[in-house]
Amino acid sequence: MENLIYALELMGIGMGTVFVVLILVIELGKLLILLVNKIAPEEAKPQAKSATPVAVMPNVAQAIAKAINTITEGKGKVEKIEKQ
Amino acid sequence: MENIWEKIYSMTAFSDIIADPRFLVMYALAFLLLYLGIKKEFEPLLLVPIAFGVLIANFPGGGMGVLGADGQGLVHYIKDGVEVSKNVYEMPLPEIAHDLGLMNYIYYALIKSGLLPPIIFMGVGALTDFGPMLRNLKLAIFGAGAQFGIFAVLLVASQFFTMQEAGSLAIIGGADGPTAIFTTLKLAPHLLGPIAIAAYSYMALVPVIIPLVVKLTCSKKELMINMKEQDKLYPNKQEFKNMRVLKIIFPIAVTTIVAIIVPDAVALVGMLMFGNLIKEIGANTSRLFEAASNGIMNAATIFLGLSVGATMTVEAFLNWTTIGIVAGGFLAFGFSIFGGIMLVKIMNLFTKKKINPLVGATGLSAVPMASRVANDIALKYDPKNHVLNYCMSSNVAGVIGSAVAAGILISFLG
Repeated sequence: MENLIYALELMGIGMGTVFVVLILVIELGKLLILLVNKIAPEEAKPQAKSATPVAVMPNVAQAIAKAINTITEGKGKVEKIEKQ
Repeated sequence: MENIWEKIYSMTAFSDIIADPRFLVMYALAFLLLYLGIKKEFEPLLLVPIAFGVLIANFPGGGMGVLGADGQGLVHYIKDGVEVSKNVYEMPLPEIAHDLGLMNYIYYALIKSGLLPPIIFMGVGALTDFGPMLRNLKLAIFGAGAQFGIFAVLLVASQFFTMQEAGSLAIIGGADGPTAIFTTLKLAPHLLGPIAIAAYSYMALVPVIIPLVVKLTCSKKELMINMKEQDKLYPNKQEFKNMRVLKIIFPIAVTTIVAIIVPDAVALVGMLMFGNLIKEIGANTSRLFEAASNGIMNAATIFLGLSVGATMTVEAFLNWTTIGIVAGGFLAFGFSIFGGIMLVKIMNLFTKKKINPLVGATGLSAVPMASRVANDIALKYDPKNHVLNYCMSSNVAGVIGSAVAAGILISFLG
């Protein structure tokens, strides 16, 4: 019986504390969102796309060159291949 | 000639296995766990080392089983044909390795010292993203509702076990292996084997247990609540102007708050948040992140799994206490899912913006498996209803919730 009462008390204290901690975490999160939005609102800008041409497998480059040659009937020429 | 055959027979493990057929039960258990881990892919990273630990610990004469210390810290073993009793906590590690073998060395140096569970928590933190929780902060409260199973089973178990044993058993309801091990080490170390096995087995069975409890407690209409549509109807006013900075500050702030309120939870929550912090800082701490989430985490998991499995010897496992732990652990797990679902149902009574009860069911800390399972259930009822991100909020909060619950049990019962 003594154990049961103690377990009941622990249940109240335990569930209560877990709720308090998570409510505090939620409120803390809200506060941090507010503060960060005010103090450090800038997201880091994404890096500009590299202008240097990307290395392309020779067989792929060859296939592209052939395709361009066929489509443009030999008038077109591949100067640069870039990945999007 | 007959004498030689007798010697060969007694040299092998056959004589001991025939003398005590309970070993066969342990092999069957090891094979079942290996099957679940390998074939069914239930938590293979944990179940496979644990199952293999069970297997190698139960070959008589192999010396791979972990010897449990009694209440006074005494271990009893036979050395040079003489029975010896020594206080294992006063034995130097080389002596443990020499007298008791490799597995006892690993167990007493890494597990019993309480080292590995926080180390694993650091790895878990490094693999956790608090983003979904920060985006759906209110849903984090269900990480508290789902700790109900811990305290409900504590209530029941207090009638059959000592309070310390009941607390260790109840923590299985937190659905967190390292937390269960850490709590049991502090409260009832002699129950470590069966509690760890029960905790990890039920975590592995999340894809079975969550659907079962959901089926028993939720209606089709409730399970069809579409969270995205609810968001459109009642939009979240919170805007995020710098998520990166927020994610860096968050673990530091949570550690501080938890450390002040429940200092006994700091070993777990602190390491969890440290792991997360080194992940969120990015390139400057990427080497630490790599170590925490790969090398250290993997090594810790191997040692933890094997040595916890090796605590499951015939004497330690095949008794009524273990059966009580297996049954109580299942209840704790089920009640925790039930607690989360009920909290959602109660909140739905008072709010316009309805929440899918699956978000409550994932208040357990089995991350991310619980969320994936809940998402699959939601998709069964409505193929467009993706609840994963919402469930991750309560799921991640459940990790903090169960660590806090463990801290409370340790501070009151330890």
